[in-house]
Amino acid sequence: MFRTYIFHVSGTHCAACKILIEDILGGQELIKKVQVNLKRETVEIETDSSQSIEELAEFLTSKIKSHGYTLSVEKTIPEPKSNDVIWKAIPIGLTFLALFFLLQKSGILNFGIGGQTTPTTSFIIGLVASVSSCLAIVGGLVLSLSAKISQDEVNDTKTFLLFHVGRLVSFAVLGGVLGLIGSAIGINFTLTAILGIIASLVMLLLGLNLVGVWANNKITLHSGIFDFFRKIEHKTLTPLAVGFGTFFLPCGFTQSMQVVALSSGSFISGTLIMFAFALGTLPMLVLLSFGSASFAHSKHAPLFFKSAGVVVIGLGLFAFLAGLAGLGIISPLFNI
Amino acid sequence: MHKIALMIITLGLVLSIGIIFFGGSILGNNRVVSEPVQNSEIRDGVQYITINAKGGYSPKVSVAKAGIPTKLIIKTNGTYDCSAALVIRSVGFQKILPQTGETEIDLGVPKVGVPVQGICGMGMYNFQIEFQS
Repeated sequence: MFRTYIFHVSGTHCAACKILIEDILGGQELIKKVQVNLKRETVEIETDSSQSIEELAEFLTSKIKSHGYTLSVEKTIPEPKSNDVIWKAIPIGLTFLALFFLLQKSGILNFGIGGQTTPTTSFIIGLVASVSSCLAIVGGLVLSLSAKISQDEVNDTKTFLLFHVGRLVSFAVLGGVLGLIGSAIGINFTLTAILGIIASLVMLLLGLNLVGVWANNKITLHSGIFDFFRKIEHKTLTPLAVGFGTFFLPCGFTQSMQVVALSSGSFISGTLIMFAFALGTLPMLVLLSFGSASFAHSKHAPLFFKSAGVVVIGLGLFAFLAGLAGLGIISPLFNI
Repeated sequence: MHKIALMIITLGLVLSIGIIFFGGSILGNNRVVSEPVQNSEIRDGVQYITINAKGGYSPKVSVAKAGIPTKLIIKTNGTYDCSAALVIRSVGFQKILPQTGETEIDLGVPKVGVPVQGICGMGMYNFQIEFQS
C-alpha cells in the first residue's frame, strides 16, 4: 500500500537542487514517486515503506545530507545561523582581499625577466600574472562564474574544462595570428578598458547574487538577467567563448605578451609564446574554478558562496574603478 | 557576542584595506614634498623628464619647469606588468612600451599649473608631473 508523505527540505539554494534531490531519492527502492517543490521547500514522496514518518525523514536525509540538504517533518524555522553566515563570510572575504592587495603592494611580483622572451620565460610570466593584479579581473571573473555555475549546476566539471580548453586554444591560435599578420588585434586600449568594465559589472552582479542579496526570493532569480545567465551557462559554446574572451581582457601581462607575439614574426613562435603564457596562468585559474566547485559541494557551501561573493564584489569594484580611471573618466583613486 | 566580535574584525579589515589603498599614497606624497626627486634636466633648451616604469611608475609625482619644450623619457627594464601599457591622455599617447628600453614622448611646451598625468591601460598605476614657473 502506498502512502504519501510531505517533508520540509532545507538547503535548496538552486534550481538544479530539485533535479539532484529527485534523482537521489527517486533512486531509493522504497520510493515510488518523488516531487520537489522549491517554492514551498517541500518534498512529496510516495512510498510503500512501513516506517514512521520520522524514521523516513531520518533515512532519506542520510542519503542527501552530503549534498547539504535536510528533510524534516516539521518546518524548521530558517536557522538564525544563516544570518550569522554573512558575518563570518565578510571577514573571510575581506581577509583574502587584504592579502591579495598586500601582495600587489609588496612589489614581490615586480621582478624583471631580462633578455629574449622565450616560451619558457612567458610561462614564468604567466605564473606571475596569475597572482598579480590581473587576477582582479580574470581571476575574479573565473571565481564568480565558477561559484555561480557550481551553485546552479550539478555537473560543473564539463563547463570548467570547456572554459580552460577554450582559453588555452584561443591564446595559442590568436598568438599565432598575431605573429603571422603582425597587426594589432586586441591591443586597443579603449576596447580592453570597456571589456574590463563589462567584466567588472558581471562580477559585481554575480558577487551580490552570491552574497545573497536576493536570497530571500529564490524564485525571482529565474527572471530577467539571471534567466539570461542561466540560459547561456548551459550552452557548450558559452564557456569556450568566455575562455576566448579572456584574451582581450585588460591585463598588462597579457598585453605585453601579445606585443611579444606580434613582433615574433611567425605563426609558430607567436603560438608558442601565447600558449606558454596561458599555460602559466592555468594552475591558479584551475585552482579557483575546481576549488570553488569542491567547496560548493561540501557542507560549507553557504559560507563559501558568501565569502566568494565578498571577494568578487571587492575585486569587481577595484576593476571597475581602475577601468574608469584607465578610460580617463575619473582620476585614479589608488596606486597599488 | 559572537556577531559583535566578527563585526569588529570586519571593521578592522576594512580599515586595513583602506590603509593598503590610500595610506601608501598619502605617505608617498608627503615624502615627495619633503625631498623632491630630481628627475628632470635641461639639455640644449629641451627639458627631459625621466620616469621608470616597472611595477608602477617612479617617481609617482615629479615637478618640472613650465614654458620650455619638454620630453618625457619612460625607462622600462624587464617590464611586463600593467605599467608597460601607458596612456597619457593629454598628449594623446597610448602604447605598449618595449619590455626593456627607453621611450621618448613629446609633451610640447607645458603650461604652469596644468599637470600631465600618465596611467597604465588597466588603471592600476599612475604618475603625475606638475609644472611650475
